Amino acid sequence: MRLFLDTLYRIALWLAALCLATIASMVGVQLAARILDGVLALVHLPTTSFVILSLNEICGYLLAAASFLALAGTLKAGVHIRVTMVFGALSEGTRRYAEMVAFAAAAAGVAYMTWNLASFAWVSFQFNEVSTGVIRVPLCYPQAAMALGAAILAIALTDELVIVARSGRPSFRHAEDAITVGKEG
Amino acid sequence: QTKWDMPTPYPDGNFHTKNVIQFAADVDKATGGSLKIQVHSAGSLIKHPEIKRAVRQGTAPIGEILESLVANEAPVYGLDSVPFLATGYDASKKLYAAQKPFLEKQLASEGLVLLYSVPWPPQGIYAKRTITKIEDLKGVKFRTYNPMIGRIAALAGAIPTQIEVPDLPTAFATGRVDVMITSASTGVDTKAQDYLTDYIDAEGWLPRNIVFVNKAAFDKLSAAEQKAVTEAAKAAEERGWKASIEEKKIKTDALKAAGIKVSEPTPELKAGLQKIGATIAAEWEKSAGEDGAAMLAAYRK
Amino acid sequence: MSVLTLSLVLMLLLFAILGTGVWIAIALAMVGFVAILSSTATPPGQVLASSMWAASNSWDLTALPMFIWMGEILYRTKLPEDMFAGLAPWLQRLPGRLLHTNVVGCAIFAAVSGSSAATCATIGRIALPELLKRGYDEKMAIGTLAGSGTLGLLIPPSIILIVYATATDQSIARLFIAGVVPGIMLAALFMGFIAVWALINNSRMPPPEPAVPFLERVYASRRLIPVTLLILGVIGSIYGGLASATEAAVVGVFLSLALSWWSDTLNKTSFIDALLAATRTSCMIAFILAGAAYLTAAMGFTGIPIVLAEWISGFKLPPWALLTALTAFYIVLGCFLDGISMVVLTTSIIIPLVTKAGFDLIWFGIYVVLVVEMAQITPPVGFNLYVLQGMTGRNIFTIGTYTLPLFLLMCLAVALVAMFPGIALWLPSTMFDMR
Ligand code: NA
Ligand code: NA
Repeated sequence: MRLFLDTLYRIALWLAALCLATIASMVGVQLAARILDGVLALVHLPTTSFVILSLNEICGYLLAAASFLALAGTLKAGVHIRVTMVFGALSEGTRRYAEMVAFAAAAAGVAYMTWNLASFAWVSFQFNEVSTGVIRVPLCYPQAAMALGAAILAIALTDELVIVARSGRPSFRHAEDAITVGKEG
Repeated sequence: QTKWDMPTPYPDGNFHTKNVIQFAADVDKATGGSLKIQVHSAGSLIKHPEIKRAVRQGTAPIGEILESLVANEAPVYGLDSVPFLATGYDASKKLYAAQKPFLEKQLASEGLVLLYSVPWPPQGIYAKRTITKIEDLKGVKFRTYNPMIGRIAALAGAIPTQIEVPDLPTAFATGRVDVMITSASTGVDTKAQDYLTDYIDAEGWLPRNIVFVNKAAFDKLSAAEQKAVTEAAKAAEERGWKASIEEKKIKTDALKAAGIKVSEPTPELKAGLQKIGATIAAEWEKSAGEDGAAMLAAYRK
Repeated sequence: MSVLTLSLVLMLLLFAILGTGVWIAIALAMVGFVAILSSTATPPGQVLASSMWAASNSWDLTALPMFIWMGEILYRTKLPEDMFAGLAPWLQRLPGRLLHTNVVGCAIFAAVSGSSAATCATIGRIALPELLKRGYDEKMAIGTLAGSGTLGLLIPPSIILIVYATATDQSIARLFIAGVVPGIMLAALFMGFIAVWALINNSRMPPPEPAVPFLERVYASRRLIPVTLLILGVIGSIYGGLASATEAAVVGVFLSLALSWWSDTLNKTSFIDALLAATRTSCMIAFILAGAAYLTAAMGFTGIPIVLAEWISGFKLPPWALLTALTAFYIVLGCFLDGISMVVLTTSIIIPLVTKAGFDLIWFGIYVVLVVEMAQITPPVGFNLYVLQGMTGRNIFTIGTYTLPLFLLMCLAVALVAMFPGIALWLPSTMFDMR
């Protein structure tokens, strides 16, 4: 079970990273074409006029998918931020219960979010909603990816709730205490 | 008492939004305050691309969108932005009349009721250079944000490029875009004089906004309230068309006053644009099937 | 319940939920949920999905993960060492000597990094040990580092400005360029402070090191070439017409990768580490933006922002009084909230108010960044303080007292930018208002 869950979070995180790398690659190709055309125009050769149609929309959809698919992996790495000031003032014993309340509330909230994102994607599918740009992209795919990411986060939060109940502290406590670079923006 | 939240895409100063606010006030007055419409302008409540869906689902009971924004969903939504088909207010009105039954049918199939539709001023060509013939568009970076404009770019041999409105000044200043087609209003609102020089009043087409209501929400109103809404909508439509004509004059004058070179298209350019328009109209007719043929026939009658 | 009471209740609720250790994004969404339930018949779940979707699928926001990724790549290169070695010989000659490496190093690194804490950590990792080893005053070394790190937000690229731009529909490129002059001004204020302090407290400065001959200084400067090229590449791609601000972030990623490859720090591990770290950090921020978007939509349904804006404009405050009140409010808020939450809460409540008061939204973005910068160095919640706590072992309240003079200089900077809006608006107007 442990192995299964950890693999699930890891795959989702990797998919998210892949989405971001795809954004970089697509924009990179477009930029390269633009530079090439600039050079060709400079030496009076015919240009390629290569354009990735609807690049902006597609990158936006990839970003939405990436942001949500990475949710669980980000939680597990202790990177999602929260105010732990109050926890710092509590004894370890009390903190355990406080943590459990936080995880239970968050898990319930994210489960609700998952449900709504899923039905949002489903209605998009039924309504046959498509993007407004030059290329018709069905919106239910990126929306479904968002719902999936939220679902995995709900699982991860429940997972951590169980871990705290058993061991007294979340698995990412160490990472969360050591502040990671770049967190606040 | 019923309260309706109404998301609209454009800011308070825009003539469409002013018209919507007047519409809401009219409804308030006619129903003696039993139906209150709270207008949330500039996408502050729901962003433009989500508004139609939100009304469809009942998240918000009433809303306004640019009709052609959803042209990818059904061809009928794209008729008003077929370029160089109906280029003045009179032609545009005729086109709207031909389209209306089919538009209402499409909206009804989505559980929506059309209240009214008001056009933007005609679309003109903005550029940082002089354009006298269609060949001048070849190889220039052409702002593209919907399939119809994408076709214009493709047929004119221009390079489509995507620029968001807040980014327009930077994009023109740095040469990421050379030409765009939009109304005089947008030019004034984005201070076009800061970043480009020429405006060709080509009267390409008159894209319309549509205001619609969720049918279930509408049915819940009393008969008197329904009548108040429909009558206010009728008044808003008349007022809006007049305001649009007014807007065209005000904004074109404002462009001139700001030092933009405003000109009529040359006959060569006009002929080239019309040729492109005819191709796109034929393509549109094909995509819209029988209904499309019926709409065009009714318009051309 | 009146709208004003409701807004107070929701505010308290937000702080209560945050206090229980629920993640910020989820807490914002929870308050949004309650706000909708309390005041309209609108289905809260549909608003949730619709607003989160609208906030998450955004081309402009794509700049965020890309700039973060760029910073993560650079963090793993030798760029910071090179910068220190190239700058130190020149700065030796100013009163305050190497203390200036903190400010100048941060200002330069800020031009390739969008984050305040990352700037602070990257420069601090190199500069702080050097300064302490040479006997510089610890309070000054740590304090100026914490303060200068905040330049990461004002000097473009800036994550906070991207967040602000996408939330308020402003041009990222314009906001970026608007941050340049205020950023340089703030750096100059910091350097002036260091110089004055060094002249007064000469006894607390270490003995001067032998002067480096001019040619050697020039030779050492070659190590500044990579960072210069990087800055020119990113900024140049925007203002040279190659790329939009979003695409420029991708230019930054590729240039950083090239730099990393050239300096032999690029390998499979460093590439994957940087990518995954960027994925996580941008996920964290995007999630907060999604939660905040829901809260913003919910606020729209409650009508709070409209009523609040009318209520406050009813006092007919002169603009300076409104700004003073806002600044005080932000300083208090900034003690307890992180920068992004401050910006996203701003956009749901404050923007209608400042729009009504007639402020320019580009100018206001720079103002917001300045107050968010202050928040980075005020305890108990201040990320630059955390970074330095990790680095020095001092607790954040102690570090907070070290940074107090810089905090006051930032207040001065806010006053200057308020009195002379041209500091922020002049450069964007000259850059774009030409044909
Ligand atoms: Na920066
Ligand atoms: Na703080």
